[in-house]
Amino acid sequence: MLQYAVNRFLHTVVLLFLISVFVFALMKLAPGDPVTVMLGADYNPESYAKLRSELGLDRSVVVQYLIWVWRFVQGNWGTSYISGAPVARLVLHDALPVTVYLSFWSLVFALVIAIPSGVVAALRRNTWVDYAGMGLAIFFNSFPSFYLGIVLIWIFGVSLGWFPTMGYVSPGADVGRSLLHMVLPAFTLGAWYAGLIARITRSSLVDVLNQPYIKVARAKGVEGRAVVYKHALRNVLIPVVTIVGLQLGGMLRGAVMTETVFALPGIGRLVTIAVLNREYHLVQATVMVIAIMFILINLMVDVLYRFLNPRVREA
Amino acid sequence: MAGKGHDHIATLARTMTQELVSRRAFLAAAGALGAGLALGRPAWAQAVKRGGQLKIAWIDTVDTLDPHFTSSLGAIKIHDNIYNGILKVDFDGKRVSFKPDLVEKWDMPTPTTHVLTLRRGVKFHDGDECTAEAVKWNQERLRDPQVKSPHGWKLADLDKIEIQDKHRLRITFKRPYQFLPVAWTGSTGRAGTVVSPKAVEKHGRAFGRNPVGTGPFRFVEWVENDRIVLERNPNYFETGADGKALPYLDRVTVLLIRESSTAVGALMAGEIDGMNLIPFQFLPMLEKNPAVQVVGGVEGNYTFVGMNNRKPPFDDQALRQAVSFAIDRTPIIQQAYFGGAIAACSAISPPMSDFYNADQCSSKRAQYFDLDKAKALRAESKHKGDVEVEWMVVGQYTGSGGVGPRMAELVQPMLAKIGVKVRIQLYEQATWHKKRNTGDFQMYDEGWVADLDPDETIYPEWVTGKPWNFVGYSNPEFDKLVSEAQFEPNVAKRKALYDKADLLLARDAPCAFIAHFKVFKALSRKVHGFKYIPADSMRFHAVHL
Repeated sequence: MLQYAVNRFLHTVVLLFLISVFVFALMKLAPGDPVTVMLGADYNPESYAKLRSELGLDRSVVVQYLIWVWRFVQGNWGTSYISGAPVARLVLHDALPVTVYLSFWSLVFALVIAIPSGVVAALRRNTWVDYAGMGLAIFFNSFPSFYLGIVLIWIFGVSLGWFPTMGYVSPGADVGRSLLHMVLPAFTLGAWYAGLIARITRSSLVDVLNQPYIKVARAKGVEGRAVVYKHALRNVLIPVVTIVGLQLGGMLRGAVMTETVFALPGIGRLVTIAVLNREYHLVQATVMVIAIMFILINLMVDVLYRFLNPRVREA
Repeated sequence: MAGKGHDHIATLARTMTQELVSRRAFLAAAGALGAGLALGRPAWAQAVKRGGQLKIAWIDTVDTLDPHFTSSLGAIKIHDNIYNGILKVDFDGKRVSFKPDLVEKWDMPTPTTHVLTLRRGVKFHDGDECTAEAVKWNQERLRDPQVKSPHGWKLADLDKIEIQDKHRLRITFKRPYQFLPVAWTGSTGRAGTVVSPKAVEKHGRAFGRNPVGTGPFRFVEWVENDRIVLERNPNYFETGADGKALPYLDRVTVLLIRESSTAVGALMAGEIDGMNLIPFQFLPMLEKNPAVQVVGGVEGNYTFVGMNNRKPPFDDQALRQAVSFAIDRTPIIQQAYFGGAIAACSAISPPMSDFYNADQCSSKRAQYFDLDKAKALRAESKHKGDVEVEWMVVGQYTGSGGVGPRMAELVQPMLAKIGVKVRIQLYEQATWHKKRNTGDFQMYDEGWVADLDPDETIYPEWVTGKPWNFVGYSNPEFDKLVSEAQFEPNVAKRKALYDKADLLLARDAPCAFIAHFKVFKALSRKVHGFKYIPADSMRFHAVHL
């Protein structure tokens, strides 16, 4: 077990190093720099050279990278070129909680809708319930989230006035308003996810219900509902958990669009603006945080696996 | 040298002093009238409601709240509410003028000497008084090479600043710089905005996140990518219609929404009270909405199609001129600007009241649409047959005048008629800036915005070797005319110089001028007292709900 933990840790460190090099190189290869963006209409070659030197951007790329790594591991993530605010505060204090909050409610929404829908569709397969459920699942799975967001804003925000159309309210400030503000963004982000999970749940359950041990259980006289909930569903959860874990990264990707459409000050919006402004430190730190989150989620999925599947535990 | 009676700045200074005297007399009379009205306040005073919060969506970028370092109009619109300038921009519906803000009296003993007498008792939000010492400190901060303010050049001719007493200072320039009234405004000028010296010394570079001024609102917080909150300054010096200190509002929350469709949705749902900018495509929808008032007009700006004068094929003047005559501005104004613009045939725009020629297009002296003339010039070009060019377009720009690729798409078939085959290439902002700044392009479109004087609209953009002359235009005659105009105090003579320069620029065609566009703000019908000023400004001094 210790060996496993050490290996896992070393893999993680190497992976994070490679990610940091890749992102740094990619940002440096992209044309343009933050100095041009910062100067805007006040650009002139002299002020450009002065500011570039002041920000240390005239040094070699390797030196810039090494300085960044050295400071990053010491907890000094630098400051935003444009705003001057500390990067660590922007990422960890300001943006991350918003994205985690949005992702949490999107996941809750997706699971609450998708698993029952998938189960019902599997149990009533090849009926209109199955076709309607899976049709909706494919629809939400294929609908671009930014467009769905705008459609929802216009229907439920502007026309019906049921939900706020934009903005983030911290749950610490007002729980009720905070939840109300999350309804449309969580639906937008969770819809794609719900479609995917519902389809996986259905197909897995259909597959499991045809397994010999289910037939044995039925032959032993276990009633229909108990067969599903006690024997089949636990095995269905294994592929579902795998997909949930793998696709949480997809949720962060979707958060970029959702946060932009609903004006939520989360990681997705932060990184989008940072990339456009060529804020190297900010992009680097945000990507590292996303990578660490992704790795942690995968670790959690592994642990859950061991809980759900005794064979993995014994291996 | 021009007689003093015609001196542009001296006249302005005298007018201001006279206006202040009459304003004081009016206020005294109003005070007496108020005292005489034993039964309640007059009707106009009762119409104003105090208190409440204004929530307004901000579409464009806010870089810093330090006015001496900002390059963004989105930020300047907020500065207008936190700070005051030495002067401020005013608009009576027809003419733009410059009014006193922190100064009470402005004397000009000579064309290069300015004696400024400040209002007494004006305090910064941190409690310090705004004295002559503070104004001097601000002017010196701007021009200090160590500070590296991008607006220091506006005070390059400043010779010395002498403090005469606590509220009076004497500022001497080396030459009679005619751009000074604009430079000394608290809004787009930025070289006249007065910040708290104590706060700058306390916060250093972080002052841009902890701004302290003398304005009607004081800074509360800036939550990154989310909001900037301002609250009422109870000690503000201006008085409202009810006889009490401005502002009327308790709070202004600026919501940093970059996505304009989200802001439009929130405005139509009644969640916010306004938008600081309306992208043109939303104009028809918002104008039809009965709950929304759209405020705006043609501002000091122009958009143009720039052609790289240093590189083939646009190193050929005849080809550039052919392009300028081949473009029909009417469909561009209708389809790219949704009607929110007027044709531009040269650079100088309507808010530059003393210098704009309204007949520049109709008189057919500058640039205008004439396909036959374009074809004739095309035949004179050294590039025979079809030429293929790349037009670089920026994708994400949402600020004033941004029309995305719409203009390029409309012009493309027009230029095909004179054998210029345009390939439109979309770049994201940072790449586009890099290519533009290094002259790595053939064609591009751009706009210069929020200008109030011909000097700022024509000099750094088109004079040989100047920083914004990205197309590399060079004409010594033009350079001479606009350089002379910078220091010509006589308005009529200055206008004559700009008329010649503007026409020369249009005829040389380093670019094809397209439009002077309108800048629109949307406000809910429940918002009252907003005064429109054609400098893309958003002042909430006298706004009430």
